[in-house]
Amino acid sequence: MSNLRTVITAAAFGLVAMQAQAAVAPQDLVNPITDYKLYVLDNLEQFSSHTREFTDAIKVGDLQRAQQLYAPTRVYYERIEPIAELFADLDASIDAREDDYEHGVQDPTFTGFHRLEYGLFHEHSTTGLGDYAERLMSDVETLEQSVQNLTFPPEKVVGGAAALMEEVAATKVSGEEDRYSHTDLWDFQGNLDGSKKIFELVKPLAAQEDPAFVARIEENFTAIENTLAHYYLIEGDASSGFESYDKVSERDRRALVGPVTVLAEELSTLRGLLGLN
Amino acid sequence: MSDRDDLSPGCPFSGLNRRRFLQGLGAAGIGAAATALSSGALADQQVRAAEVTDAPSSSATHQSHPFYGVQQQGIVTPRPAVGMLASFDVLVADRQGLERLLRTLTERIAFLTQGGTYEQRDPRYPPVDSGILGPSIDPDGLTITLSVGASLFDDRFGLGAVKPRHLQRMVAFSNDALDADRCHGDISLQFCANTEGTTIHALRDIIKNTPGMLMLRWKQEGTVPVMAPRSDGSTESARNYLGFRDGTANPPADNSGLMQNVVWVDASNQEPEWARNGSYQAVRIIRNFVERWDRTPLQEQEAIFGRRRDSGAPMHGGIEHDLPVYDNDPDGKVTPLDSHIRLANPRTRGSERNLILRRPFNYSNGVEANGQLDMGLLFIAYQADLEAGFITVQKRLDGEPLEEYIKPVGGGYFFTLPGVQAGDYLGSSMLAASQRHS
Repeated sequence: MSNLRTVITAAAFGLVAMQAQAAVAPQDLVNPITDYKLYVLDNLEQFSSHTREFTDAIKVGDLQRAQQLYAPTRVYYERIEPIAELFADLDASIDAREDDYEHGVQDPTFTGFHRLEYGLFHEHSTTGLGDYAERLMSDVETLEQSVQNLTFPPEKVVGGAAALMEEVAATKVSGEEDRYSHTDLWDFQGNLDGSKKIFELVKPLAAQEDPAFVARIEENFTAIENTLAHYYLIEGDASSGFESYDKVSERDRRALVGPVTVLAEELSTLRGLLGLN
Repeated sequence: MSDRDDLSPGCPFSGLNRRRFLQGLGAAGIGAAATALSSGALADQQVRAAEVTDAPSSSATHQSHPFYGVQQQGIVTPRPAVGMLASFDVLVADRQGLERLLRTLTERIAFLTQGGTYEQRDPRYPPVDSGILGPSIDPDGLTITLSVGASLFDDRFGLGAVKPRHLQRMVAFSNDALDADRCHGDISLQFCANTEGTTIHALRDIIKNTPGMLMLRWKQEGTVPVMAPRSDGSTESARNYLGFRDGTANPPADNSGLMQNVVWVDASNQEPEWARNGSYQAVRIIRNFVERWDRTPLQEQEAIFGRRRDSGAPMHGGIEHDLPVYDNDPDGKVTPLDSHIRLANPRTRGSERNLILRRPFNYSNGVEANGQLDMGLLFIAYQADLEAGFITVQKRLDGEPLEEYIKPVGGGYFFTLPGVQAGDYLGSSMLAASQRHS
């Protein structure tokens, strides 16, 4: 790992030239960006191995196991979406929803997790899903390769903290992301983890600029986590997974919308605060 | 234009807005333009012809209505061409949060309705304003009216003891088909302005400034058809999407004594003291089946409404503002007993207690699954007593022949807070009164 770190650090130094009169010195971002790349690669590695188990289950026709693995596999992707989205074609073939296609589920170019979700949770069958599973596995491997060779643009990394909360605000709160499996809370937690990770990495820099800002962000992350905790499958155990999104009370949905919107709004200033162009 | 007169021939672009200049060239191309400039044809270029995408102009963008006052604006203020009703859920958890929300709303409404400029931020940050009205905000006749729903008086904020007496969750009437996604709300904001850009800008400003405090629940926009001024200075009521004038029988808003009786809560209403100078707001989204209506004989349309369509006059003739007379028509041979206007206002002794001030807009949303238009009336009415006002009138209308052509699908009841003076915030008297009760 230490070897990889050196390589990445060197690449990340490319950002020095982009900085002008930022209050935060450009080299201060080198370590956070390096650490973030390690986080992304680690998640991608796990994403890849979980996707293999998931797609293997589909290919052998084990419906129940495939259904069980659907949500826990996606979490790794949801955490690193700001980077995955840099590869728009792969992002579309891995994670597009039927709404992205004029003909919905019938569209022959609709592939990826949500196409499989439709088969597994709506048609309750693995029949005909083999090719989609095959394609997903190969897309995920391509993504992993592509990210390894990527120099992480600092503005995309720092901006990713807000982008993940926009993702939550736009599709998770309404329960439309995983409309057949109702596993939205898993994705929600994944987006939240990813956003929080970025924030944690630059927190010392942000705190130098505006400690009150840091306090507001932390307060709202905590508020969301406290609400999500009501829906752990095993009380007090974040790793146990989540209840179905249709179990979330109206009051808790509102309790989530507030801090999600605040975080989207506050984190949208993080790039400016760190002097990124 | 004089600043362009000093162009030196050696520098044809100096002093010119380059983009506009190039736009003006059209297909002529740069080479031709250079020739034109050097041959002294410059004067023709100086007054730019109207472009397709130029902003339409209006002389009313500077119009503003006072925000501070005993009562809120946007109720007796003459209705402009554009309106929007937005309903919100309040997300804050306690009284402190509610006060912060009400203070923020007061501050934003004070700014938006009077206009001005906003802070220009370091461009590495998101801008503070959406920018859709440019760097300087013209009020454009904007009014924003803040009202609260019955749900705000639940257990969250300790307001239960000071709820206005008639404030309640709207219950479906016999012809209603209420869509839960377009009903009720903790707070309503009524936006009225000369143009839609202004109401949308105001809504986006308020959303941007209340993260974590408000969640938009539903909204309905509407318009009023604009008419040319008449040579004799007289005015007529605007028409709804059924082609009939709407609001002919409205009590005149410039009659302050009448408004005191009809619209504003005062000591005579047995309401909590804080509610004085507030009003009940009844909102209804009423879909009109316009295709079917357009296939209905005119005499039947007129019998259903109880008025002449084109003139707006009563069935017995005259002009729009002639009062309908029913004394000599006890059996409804001229104006049917079940016609809309006769049921809504029978003009019998005591029925003046049921007067309301209507402020409706026409809406047009899209297309239904059957290919028919989704359009109708965004009905908004104000009254000092919701029970004696809208609810009584609507109960009289239940079963009316017009129901074949209309279907109420949304809306809600709200209480419009009293006005505010500079330095204070909307709703402060409500919070102070509940403090005393708790």
